[in-house]
Amino acid sequence: MTHESMTRGRITPGLMTRRSLWIALLLVWSLAPMLWQLLSSFTTADALVNDQLSFWSRWTLNNYRDLLSTDPPFWRYLLNSSLVASLTTLLTLMLAIPAAYGLAKLPQRLKGILRTAVVGAALFPYVLLFLALLELARTFALGNNLIAIAIPYSALSMPLALLLLTAAFEALPNDLEDAAKLEGLSLWQRLRWVLLPLIAPASASTAILVFLFAWNEYPVALTWLSRSDLLTLPVAMARIAGSSTYSVPYGTYAAATVLGAIPLLVLVLVFQRQIVSGLTNGAIKG
Amino acid sequence: MTLQLRAINKRFGERQVLHQLDLDVANGECVALLGASGCGKSTALRLIAGLDHPDQGSIRINGAEMVDVPAERRRVGMVFQSYALFPHLNVWDNLELGLRMRGGSAATRDERIRGVLEVLQLSGQARLRPSQLSGGQRQRVALARALLRDPLVYLLDEPMSNLDAQLREDLRPQLRRLMIGGEQPVVYVTHDQQEAMALADRIAVMREGRIEQIGTPRELYLQPASTYVAQFIGRPQMNLLPARDGVITGIRPDDLRLDPAGSPCTILSREWFGANQMLLVRCDRGDLRLVCPGETAIEAEPRISWPGTCEHRFDAVSGRRLPSDRLPSD
Repeated sequence: MTHESMTRGRITPGLMTRRSLWIALLLVWSLAPMLWQLLSSFTTADALVNDQLSFWSRWTLNNYRDLLSTDPPFWRYLLNSSLVASLTTLLTLMLAIPAAYGLAKLPQRLKGILRTAVVGAALFPYVLLFLALLELARTFALGNNLIAIAIPYSALSMPLALLLLTAAFEALPNDLEDAAKLEGLSLWQRLRWVLLPLIAPASASTAILVFLFAWNEYPVALTWLSRSDLLTLPVAMARIAGSSTYSVPYGTYAAATVLGAIPLLVLVLVFQRQIVSGLTNGAIKG
Repeated sequence: MTLQLRAINKRFGERQVLHQLDLDVANGECVALLGASGCGKSTALRLIAGLDHPDQGSIRINGAEMVDVPAERRRVGMVFQSYALFPHLNVWDNLELGLRMRGGSAATRDERIRGVLEVLQLSGQARLRPSQLSGGQRQRVALARALLRDPLVYLLDEPMSNLDAQLREDLRPQLRRLMIGGEQPVVYVTHDQQEAMALADRIAVMREGRIEQIGTPRELYLQPASTYVAQFIGRPQMNLLPARDGVITGIRPDDLRLDPAGSPCTILSREWFGANQMLLVRCDRGDLRLVCPGETAIEAEPRISWPGTCEHRFDAVSGRRLPSDRLPSD
């Protein structure tokens, strides 16, 4: 503490510029591919393979026009993905919040065993499950149904959601719930008026992570959905990439990537404060 | 209104926290549970509140059995050591939440909250979050919440141990005015004997899950039932002389006096507090603490004595008080 504040107190201009340099390098490293995609999405197919073209003849909006004029149009996939991801998030939170509360209240030994099991489930490579899941979809006729696909998505997100939310409940001081009890609040009233508001940051970051998982998921979507108007983004984008045997439509593909990233960017920008405080946790003070 | 505990047993795993605990608190009476940490005093409070369940025994409030009544419906007002204010709500909402959940019209709610804020001088802080309040203000909000609960019993769990000494002294009269001596029984848990003596009608000194002695502060001070109680009540601590013929003799530091005809001793240390001073002296019977007025001049080698009527005699093995043939000195 003292050491850190001492060094912070002695920051020289040279040190500052060196630090900014590192931050700049880091940003370039992580953002350059995205910038490349953004540029590519506005570049004509010719310009992508030919660097002799003049600067002014390289740019086009055709990639986006192509993307939105296909049948079904690209926004349809955006809508599908939004629907699936929202449903998944909702279902996961509805199940994981009461479950995490229960887990946090269990006696220590039982909690340890269950936590180990949940961590195991969270680390399990879920790709190994997709054949079994496909079998389930066949048996219960859940294929080609955007609402039904939220079920396996929620199940796959559950371990991570449980870990994050259980930790959040455990971080709350016991006295708070005891005080609410003595105030005459029933279990549901305590959850609604005291506990849920206090774990809101953790819930927000959990929601974002679950939403992201559902947005990006590929193998299950590939096997559960086959009707072209029901595809989710990742599957639809893979189809664009493989739509022509003789050429790869880089421009269109880049445009799809940009459009597909926008909803997530908005979401993260809106909730960034909650995400950070939820992930670092311990944000609750009396 | 009365509170009655009968033969309460509670164990956590291997540890027996409370043994056959009996306790009666009368209407308007304040009983302090006093003891070192881990003696079971807080557990007893949580059992009364319904936050923990006793293994055996009965808890009655106004004659009604409470053991199977959940905490939500027991109507107890509790003040926590940590205050346990809801950090996401401002003072007003903290106080209103319970009232709203329990029902009742909005107008009466507003009136009651406004009244209690007025009494506790918190009207200006109604829209502040707990994190924006000082320790003393938080404590008063916690008191206000307990008052608004309109409880059958008040339970106070070391309500002042997070405050500095000055604030504690300021809050004691408020506490007495608002909670203690009303209609309800009050159980006050503390490890501070001074606080217990200042506020409680009776003090129960607890040790290892049992009540070692219960009585008025005066009884405990003048006739401690064991060496444990003797050392817990009264500051500075009672002097316990090494056992002779199976008897430990105890003398309060304020009963010792400087006496030219007494036994000689040497001064080991001296603490001066203004109104009085405390000396640690070594004599042939061992080391003794002595309290005398602050302006008394102290020789390098004083002589001390004590009246025989001030001696407390305890069994050296059990530590229990031995019956004395003389009358208590009160």
